[in-house]
Amino acid sequence: MDLTLLHEQLHNRLPLGICLLNAEYQVLYWNDFFSDRTGQSSATVQGKSLLELFPQQARYLKKKIDSVFVLSNASFSYWEHQPHVFPFSSSRPITGEETLMYQNIEFLPVEWAGESVHTICLVVQDVTELASYFLAEQQLSARLEQEHAELKALNDKLSMAQNQLLQSEKMAAVGQLAAGVAHEINNPIGFISSNLQTLQDYAARLLKLTDFYEKVISKTGNDAYLAMQRDTQQRLQFDFVRQDLPELLSESIDGIERVTDIVKNLKAFSHVDNAHWQYANLVEGLENTLKIAANQLKYKVEIHRDYAADLPEVYCQPNQINQVFLNLLVNAAQAMEHKGHLYLRAWQQGQSVCVEVRDTGPGIAPEHMKRLFEPFFTTKPVGSGTGLGLSLSYSIVQKHQGEIDVHSVPGSGASFTIMLPVAGPASAASAVP
Amino acid sequence: MNLQLTELQRDALQELMNISMGQAANALAQLIDAKISLSIPKISLVAAAEFQQIFSTDQYWFTRQSFLGSVKGEVLTLLARAGIETVGGLLHYALPLDERSEKELLLELANILAGACLRGFSTQLALPTKVSMPTLFQAAMRQADSFRWSSTLLLEVEFQLEGTAFDSRIVICLEPQSVELLLEKLNKLLED
Repeated sequence: MDLTLLHEQLHNRLPLGICLLNAEYQVLYWNDFFSDRTGQSSATVQGKSLLELFPQQARYLKKKIDSVFVLSNASFSYWEHQPHVFPFSSSRPITGEETLMYQNIEFLPVEWAGESVHTICLVVQDVTELASYFLAEQQLSARLEQEHAELKALNDKLSMAQNQLLQSEKMAAVGQLAAGVAHEINNPIGFISSNLQTLQDYAARLLKLTDFYEKVISKTGNDAYLAMQRDTQQRLQFDFVRQDLPELLSESIDGIERVTDIVKNLKAFSHVDNAHWQYANLVEGLENTLKIAANQLKYKVEIHRDYAADLPEVYCQPNQINQVFLNLLVNAAQAMEHKGHLYLRAWQQGQSVCVEVRDTGPGIAPEHMKRLFEPFFTTKPVGSGTGLGLSLSYSIVQKHQGEIDVHSVPGSGASFTIMLPVAGPASAASAVP
Repeated sequence: MNLQLTELQRDALQELMNISMGQAANALAQLIDAKISLSIPKISLVAAAEFQQIFSTDQYWFTRQSFLGSVKGEVLTLLARAGIETVGGLLHYALPLDERSEKELLLELANILAGACLRGFSTQLALPTKVSMPTLFQAAMRQADSFRWSSTLLLEVEFQLEGTAFDSRIVICLEPQSVELLLEKLNKLLED
């Protein structure tokens, strides 16, 4: 058995590239792994510099080889960092998707001359299979991670939406309750109010009658009668009663009128009244809505009005439009935590009427601008806003074929402008009975 | 197995390590053209729990590299996160390092340092070994009780790259049977 021949055959059958170099980088030997891929046999490259044979990789190879000579220790090259040191094509030219071979390379010291290395051996391992498996795995895991993140975001959104839905259901229930109460209160308020009017009338008459009697008694000139009258009036504190009675009554009537107003507005805003199309004065609607929102605005907001005269009535669903106004007013009020100014403006522009609600709050952050009309988008803490107000407003205005515009300079307030066509939307006009 | 190390053995081993590490540092200094200072080698027998404490830091990267021959074991290299860019510059890496070149640098550096140490150690004691490719090691995930051994011999050296924040610790860990072999060798040397 010829061991040398056996060794050589073995070298050439190895699935590894083997290349021996001397200290001048000259190739002493390489096995078939190299010859098959370069087309140059071991004999033809013998004595040639490896760096010249692979000039593109010379710098990297030199560095690795020098390190072996200097440190007398093996050095390594990894496919993760340097995938294709030798420009060999993939081991899977037909079925593979890689074009170049992925390689791990070991640079081993093999012969020593005293203390220093004399010969080194490059061992090239084809790890294309492993590398492409690993890369595919990495891609898969990246994709999974991304999908996971997307799912998580979706989940968060869903749970937020659920919260908001619950809140909006609560609001709807409260609204219904308010409408019911308003309806029930309406009757007693009605007769209290008319009775008070009558009482005021009767009281006026009674006082007139008393005046008449006083005159008659004074005409008689009878001191006894006059004294009796004075005593009785004093005992009953009649002077005060006479003065206070009309005031009490007119205050009460004033009060009951306010209650009537509130009830009327509550009814107007509850869903009990269905929204029908009619010509309506937008400024009136805005003013009525202001009364509803009054308790949110009263103490902290100074209201400035600038309404154009002779605005035409607009064909719309007044209750729905009032709902829009309410949302804008409440948002403005909530934006202004402390004192602030609310500017209300209405004007005609072509065939449309515009209404602007502007506040001096902190304004809207640019990143929120895009999402403003998104359903369930809210910047208020969970539970205090439905995130539906503006999206509802948007859909109402859309239904009117109008426009809603936002302008905001962060730090100096926000303004919302609603523009509604005077004639109403084309579809509504044709649907009018 | 109950491993014991006499004062004499420890001193001898320390001296041998000192000589070989000095050679390693010289070679390294040549390669990267910078001054390197060395700590006195530390020799200790540790239990698994103490060993695990090496990894209780986030200031370092870890690599591991096994060696095989007349003695067997692994070399752990701790590479400081601080100052790694400077070292990259010295080794002619393009700065700033991206993730890939950073890993490449870490492995190259670990190979240079650990290889030099191990070579010094094995030539001084005439215990030839062959070292394998280093890999990055996520040590924090290992539990002390998951190791298959109860105690091991550590040979530890610290490198400091002068004028930089970078330092490195090389820990040569021998498996128990190899420790016995090493001690026999030491005893022979001491008798001579």
